Amino acid sequence: MTWNKPFKTLAASLALTVGFSISPATAEELGYPEKEELTFGFIKLTDMAPIAIAYEKGYFEDEGLYVTIEAQANWKVLLDGVIDGRLDGAHMLAGQPIAATMGFGTKAEIITPFSMDLNGNGITVSNAIWEEMKPNIPKQADGKPVHPIKADALKPVVEKYKDEGKPFNMGMVFPVSTHNYELRYWLAAGGIHPGYYAPHKGDISGQIDADALLSVTPPPQMPATLEAGTIYGYCVGEPWNQQAVFKGIGVPVVTDYEIWKDNPEKVFGITKEFAEKYPNTTVRVTRALIRAAMWLDENNNANRPEAVKILSQSNYVGADYDVIANSMTGTFEYEKGDKREVPDFNVFFRYNATYPYYSDAIWYLTQMRRWGQISEDKPDDWYKELAAKVYRPDIYQAAAKSLIEEKLATAAQFPDFETEDGFRNPQTHFIDGIVYNGKEPNAYIEKFDIGLKSGQKL
Amino acid sequence: MSVLLDISHIDMEFPTPKGPFTALRDVDLKIAQGEFVSLIGHSGCGKSTVLNVVAGLYQATRGGVILSGKEVTEPGPERAVVFQNHSLLPWLTAYENVELAVKQVFGKNKSKAEMREWIEHNLDLVHMSHAMHKRPDEISGGMKQRVGIARALAMQPKVLLMDEPFGALDALTRAHMQDSLMEIQAELNNTVIMITHDVDEAVLLSDRIVMMTNGPAATIGEILQVDLERPRHRLELADDPLYNQYRAKVLKFLHERHSKPDVPTKKSVPAKPNTAPAQTAGDIKETVDNAA
Amino acid sequence: MNTATVIATKFSGLKLPQLDGTFFSNAIRLVALPAAGILAFLLLWSVTAQNIDTSLGKFPGPAAVMEQFNALHDEHQRSREKEQAFYERQEKRNAERVAKDPNYQPKIRAYTGKETFLDQIITSLVTVMSGFLLAVAIAIPLGITIGLSQALNNAINPIIQIFKPVSPLAWLPLVTMVVSALYTSPDPLVAKSFLNSLITVTLCCLWPMVINTAVGVAGIDKDLVNVSKVLRLPALRHVQKIVLPASVPMIFTGMRLSLGVAWMVLIAAEMLAQNPGLGKFVWDEFQNGSSDSLARIMAAVLVIGLIGFLLDRGMLALQKLVSWDKTAN
Repeated sequence: MTWNKPFKTLAASLALTVGFSISPATAEELGYPEKEELTFGFIKLTDMAPIAIAYEKGYFEDEGLYVTIEAQANWKVLLDGVIDGRLDGAHMLAGQPIAATMGFGTKAEIITPFSMDLNGNGITVSNAIWEEMKPNIPKQADGKPVHPIKADALKPVVEKYKDEGKPFNMGMVFPVSTHNYELRYWLAAGGIHPGYYAPHKGDISGQIDADALLSVTPPPQMPATLEAGTIYGYCVGEPWNQQAVFKGIGVPVVTDYEIWKDNPEKVFGITKEFAEKYPNTTVRVTRALIRAAMWLDENNNANRPEAVKILSQSNYVGADYDVIANSMTGTFEYEKGDKREVPDFNVFFRYNATYPYYSDAIWYLTQMRRWGQISEDKPDDWYKELAAKVYRPDIYQAAAKSLIEEKLATAAQFPDFETEDGFRNPQTHFIDGIVYNGKEPNAYIEKFDIGLKSGQKL
Repeated sequence: MSVLLDISHIDMEFPTPKGPFTALRDVDLKIAQGEFVSLIGHSGCGKSTVLNVVAGLYQATRGGVILSGKEVTEPGPERAVVFQNHSLLPWLTAYENVELAVKQVFGKNKSKAEMREWIEHNLDLVHMSHAMHKRPDEISGGMKQRVGIARALAMQPKVLLMDEPFGALDALTRAHMQDSLMEIQAELNNTVIMITHDVDEAVLLSDRIVMMTNGPAATIGEILQVDLERPRHRLELADDPLYNQYRAKVLKFLHERHSKPDVPTKKSVPAKPNTAPAQTAGDIKETVDNAA
Repeated sequence: MNTATVIATKFSGLKLPQLDGTFFSNAIRLVALPAAGILAFLLLWSVTAQNIDTSLGKFPGPAAVMEQFNALHDEHQRSREKEQAFYERQEKRNAERVAKDPNYQPKIRAYTGKETFLDQIITSLVTVMSGFLLAVAIAIPLGITIGLSQALNNAINPIIQIFKPVSPLAWLPLVTMVVSALYTSPDPLVAKSFLNSLITVTLCCLWPMVINTAVGVAGIDKDLVNVSKVLRLPALRHVQKIVLPASVPMIFTGMRLSLGVAWMVLIAAEMLAQNPGLGKFVWDEFQNGSSDSLARIMAAVLVIGLIGFLLDRGMLALQKLVSWDKTAN
């Protein structure tokens, strides 16, 4: 195999002229990477795919980068690794760079030039809970439950546990994880209080006033923890929902696609210091990741089976091919045998999935405020400023533009950089029907029944 | 007769939880160059303590030891010791054991070749040339003791201190060793202090026999001058009345005047009152019992 | 053997030469019985395995584990090929860059691919040996000093007694934090994770070795010490010629003890801290939760056991080689 073969393959598949290479002019314009040997961390989840693909398809090497990819034990270890320099960058929860920059948890300036994917999470409950929930769910003509399943069906179960004095424990992966906010969103939309944080009082358990008690479990350990009975349900990325189906220990009830269609998910996080010290490297890493994301979604997910094969290697996600394929190839299996089409369950590139929108960051900030992780009111400008500190479309644009220039991508594949202001149009498609406009975070927070309102402080 | 070694009014006390224990009191002895002196006495009478003080391993509480006009304050190779249990380093061959001593004592004065010759010479002296590259666990008890003696001799000590050197050996080996020692002594004319339990050994080898009283506060009871012609031959001496007289004197001292009432007796090895010198198997206890 | 027997043996073709019963009893003792034991174990294993259903499928039997050994070997081969290709690509890229940019100093970067099972085994072995040797370098001089000086012994003994029962895993978080605080070279010689594992192993090996060395040194035959005194051996020579050889058997006992424990602890530490090595392999496989995971973990378990056994035998062989006391077993 020659070094530029994958790259040629890509060129052919894009139906562009073959035989070009990274032209000397551009390479000089962009500059060689200042740091060539890099270590990136990830958590064993299918949405780390862009990193694995950029490595396996040689996109990193095309940029002159020699990348080592290391699985991390949990999100805390991963974040600490990036902060203390053991890792140069990592697959991160969208909330992590925001919270770190804000100083909730470990304070550090982390930025993201690249959003890794949309959707990809699910909420799974144990078989026992599922049996108790099932009578509360309306049925389709074929006897299968009607989707999306709302937390209303879970509410009586939680109340029953509460009456019996049993704590209703659920797992999520990190206090500032997408999963935490999605699980909370789903529970609260069904009238179940997921609990508040009060960091100013030193309470970061997030269980104040809670009906359901949420706690942290690393993603790959979710199925085992559920099986052990420590938790009754969890919200996690793939393949750990599908794993529960395969193992026969739980039933995924809802995907985040149904909670909020096309929600932004993981990001690629690096320290601000890294980006300033190694600007060329940063742009080149972003270029490689964009190409990987393009490859993943190309030709209507045609490459997904190959991607699944790569991800099932033990050094990446390592789960069985079938388990990963379930969600990665456009389907999702709920109850055993209840396999449904969800073509957009994992989105890596289309719908501008990789562009770091300020509005995405602000949504996370609104949820942090809603659940008390941000203990005081903040003006709308504060939200915008913080988002702009962490989300760095400028780096993304530099990478994208150079790819367009080299004809490795077309301008049509990206947002119009001339007019793009970093805010998505007001988003509908939430499970509770509430509309989100990133330009008005405080107004948005007011719309929720359960959650802190403006002026409210615990 | 010039005094080489002056053991001058030694007291030795050991601290114990119940207060100091006096092991020796006023031990006073002068030894001439070339003299062979035996210390004899019951177990625990402090013979070894005297030897250790001379060796410098113990410091006397009162009094002191003067060797060639210098006070002894620490151990040193000019007072080489042959220990009861050979004390060879088990990880070294016979040659290496002697070598360790030779290197330490003559490292600066002798060339490598000279040292080598000297080591071999000493091993030859004790008839160990054939097994000099064997380790202690590969040779018999008597051979080990020979190497121990060779090591001590190789230091060219002013005084050779022997702590029951043949005590752990069987009768036959012991007799051989005694004969060897006499040969070596005839050749080198060393000054020797030897501790023994064995009356025959003492009479056979010594110029003087120092008989010690029982402890605590042991001291010198009597000193017997042994004026037997050298070279001495054990078989000839067996019929020598003078020899038997000396023997009887020592026995009498040990048994009558200072016998230990609580010494357990063993009858397993019968020995006649007129034990021939060759039959030295019985140690002092048995000999004493039977002599009574 | 006389001529008659030689002829008899020659002609009786099938008959073995006149070997007495001990040959056969030895053969039974050394070959047949262990073989029978292993066979019985394999049988029991495969029968039991079939009856254990886990959420990852049936518990792997010997056949499944064997299959994974092959798979791991194949993976290793493939990885080596990829490594080869990686270096070729890199050389080519370096050459191209040098052609454009003559000032560029090309360098070859190490392969960035994943560690294979064999790599993990080697990592663990290197870690355990480095940590162990570091412990030897600290513990033996320390043990000798303590053994020689009663005062020092009294001073240090309480500390040793308190730290000895502490699982090195309890140290691990502290070690990790201290290493990342103090070891901040921009171009580190060894990885932090390696250092963490190494220090953990060292902490684990230290105490048994210190104690055994000190006891060995303190218990040297008094006569041997007296020999040294009579010879007026200087302190260093005394240690070298008398103390060290005399306490070698005890030192080795301590070394074997601690190496065994170190190997166990290292695997646990690697699992806990995600440091490269066999422990990480086991943990990764557990996390992967694929249908092959249990068989791969079982393969690792067997390898861990085998290596532990070989380490102990190796130490014993070394002890026999070095020590004058040939009675150890």
